[in-house]
Amino acid sequence: MSEEHKTTFWGAVGGKAAKSLAYAVMALFSVMTLYPIFWLAMNSFKTTREFQVSQLGFPVAPTLANYKGAWEFGEFAKLFPNSLIYTALSTLGIIFFSLLAGFAFAKIRSKATAPLYGSFIIGILLTIQTLMIPLFLEVNILGIYNTRLAVLLVYIGAGLPTGIYLATEFIKGIPSALVESARIDGAGYWRIFLAIITPMAVPVATTLAILNITGIWNEFALINILVSRTELKSLPLGIFKFSGSLSTDYGKQFAALVIGMVPMLAFYVVFRKQITKGVAAGAIKG
Amino acid sequence: MKRNRILFALLAVAVVSGLLLGGCAKKPKVVTLKVMNYQQADQAGYQEDVKVWEDFQKANPDIKLEMEVLFNDPYHAKLQAYAAAGTMPDVFYVWPGSRSAVIHEKKLAKDLGKLLGADYLKDFSAPAIDPNNQLGKYMAMLPQSFTYTSVMYVNKKLLKDNGFEVPKTYADLKAMVPKLKAKGIAVAMLPNKDGWPMQSCLFSTVAGRMAGDKFFDAINSGTAKFTDKPFVDSLAVIESLYKDGILARTDDNVGYGEGPALFVAGKAAIMIDGDWRTGAYITDKASGKALIAPAAQESDFALMPFVAIAGEANPGVLSAVAGTGWALSASLPAGSAQEKAAVRLIKYLYSPEIQAIRFGTGAYVPTRKGVTAKVEPLVSMVPTFYAANPKTCYVIDGAFDPAVYNVLNSGLIAIGLKTSTPEKVAAEVQKAFEGWKANKK
Repeated sequence: MSEEHKTTFWGAVGGKAAKSLAYAVMALFSVMTLYPIFWLAMNSFKTTREFQVSQLGFPVAPTLANYKGAWEFGEFAKLFPNSLIYTALSTLGIIFFSLLAGFAFAKIRSKATAPLYGSFIIGILLTIQTLMIPLFLEVNILGIYNTRLAVLLVYIGAGLPTGIYLATEFIKGIPSALVESARIDGAGYWRIFLAIITPMAVPVATTLAILNITGIWNEFALINILVSRTELKSLPLGIFKFSGSLSTDYGKQFAALVIGMVPMLAFYVVFRKQITKGVAAGAIKG
Repeated sequence: MKRNRILFALLAVAVVSGLLLGGCAKKPKVVTLKVMNYQQADQAGYQEDVKVWEDFQKANPDIKLEMEVLFNDPYHAKLQAYAAAGTMPDVFYVWPGSRSAVIHEKKLAKDLGKLLGADYLKDFSAPAIDPNNQLGKYMAMLPQSFTYTSVMYVNKKLLKDNGFEVPKTYADLKAMVPKLKAKGIAVAMLPNKDGWPMQSCLFSTVAGRMAGDKFFDAINSGTAKFTDKPFVDSLAVIESLYKDGILARTDDNVGYGEGPALFVAGKAAIMIDGDWRTGAYITDKASGKALIAPAAQESDFALMPFVAIAGEANPGVLSAVAGTGWALSASLPAGSAQEKAAVRLIKYLYSPEIQAIRFGTGAYVPTRKGVTAKVEPLVSMVPTFYAANPKTCYVIDGAFDPAVYNVLNSGLIAIGLKTSTPEKVAAEVQKAFEGWKANKK
């Protein structure tokens, strides 16, 4: 075998080996991600007794009783619509105000831009735990404790630091000449925002939607302290009713977790193309 | 025109009369109580608890309960938020020790000793109404139970099948190791992945036997140290349990929730746990399933105190602590309708009927005297166990701050994993204690 053939042969073998290794690693990570979901769903159809005897096997006599029990005890019929309302309105609010502020910070420069922008960005560094008690005091003082308004205001406020940062950096990449020529043609800032900035900022808006929809759907710590009435609570608070370290009914606990997970999985399945594009666009341009 | 005026006058008279008559009809004035309940939806007894509250509401239409139901850490986080804002609910669920420290230290709950009175409290066991068993040294809450945190759940059948009797001494445990180990059975199991079970369910008892409550009081007053011999010797007992193969070192990888199933599956002859765990083995009323069938509970299982240890200064003591209970907000105006309604609710919750329901579901053995219920054999063994073992000692996590006992919990895991020694752990705990004390100043 000539030297050239040897190189080609080993190159091909090396390429295949590298490819196989890459696929093996990806397969491993896929299994690591998917298996817990599969395990959870599978065990949610077992009785607690069956789960305690066999934690890895398929259910012998699958039952939907766990789902019925979890739905009733968790009062999910009340919590589900709330989760939808909080997630949808807060995400829309965050996107709208982030783009609006991002436009102002990126394209309408003034002396106030730097301190105002900084005051928002510092919020990224604050943890939810540090804000919990002050927020609780604030909503009490404002008289909006135990209202949907309090939840929406806090969720939108909590999402704005990251939202404004991403939106500002993205909008900075939109040529200023577009804004300037629109101004020369007599367009006001609102018109420019709606007709030029918003359509061009769809990728960053998608990124914000992905970040916030999953975050708000699963959010627990803030809503726990903002409301006390079941009629105003969201799904994670219902799921937490099943999460004791001394738990005896694993079946209901797993069913409750699956109920909370299904909408997010559905969201991914329906919007997976947009999510992939949005993450890539947000990452590259942002 | 005139006709219209007459009609208008008649209408006005009708409206005014209606209003006056409506005002005369006395409606009972409804008092609203904000209640914070601690409730786990997948725990045995959940449905009974829901009914307890519904029944109160039906029987007391003049009281409207605004319930907030939480469980585990979310409950405590919310309670902290209420405490910080100074807006405590009217009635809430409290721990007697450091878990609800803010309530006791800031005196956010009324003194139930004064409010309920000696005549009412005489129906409760003495440790439950002793204010010294609560962090603030006043009766901020009325413990529903007095919990023994250290119980040996013994599988008598498994022992008998292998030719052993129920163990009484450390030597008895050690003698079982070769035969049981050869069959892949642990002599004793103490799932300790979560850190606290070893300290709460075994070490506190060992330390109570070797060192005693007076030793820990002396540590708190600065006249003794964790590095002193009694405490180091207590840690050495834990070390020898692992060295002698009585406890498996793999227990440090077993989650607390996994223990009962493994024990029932015959993976260990003895499970070391708290008395509250009887609830995990009995029949769940919702599903009708039990980890141990009632007949087998009676014939094959027993609750026993931890075995005698060589060198113990206080033989037979077991770690125990006042259990959880209900408290009333200190901000309820004295003598107000709200306070009266809250007292009515508290008396309902502690009534013999409701306490019998709790006893029957295996939630706890009530501190209210004379409560009986039709319970499964394992639950009925608990009061007998209390009566046979009246001498109690501190549970360390009830006597010291988390800054101290968390270091001990980690140290006990390290001893189990052979990565530390009793002397080193004792020194670390002492250092943590001194640090906590310095910060407190």
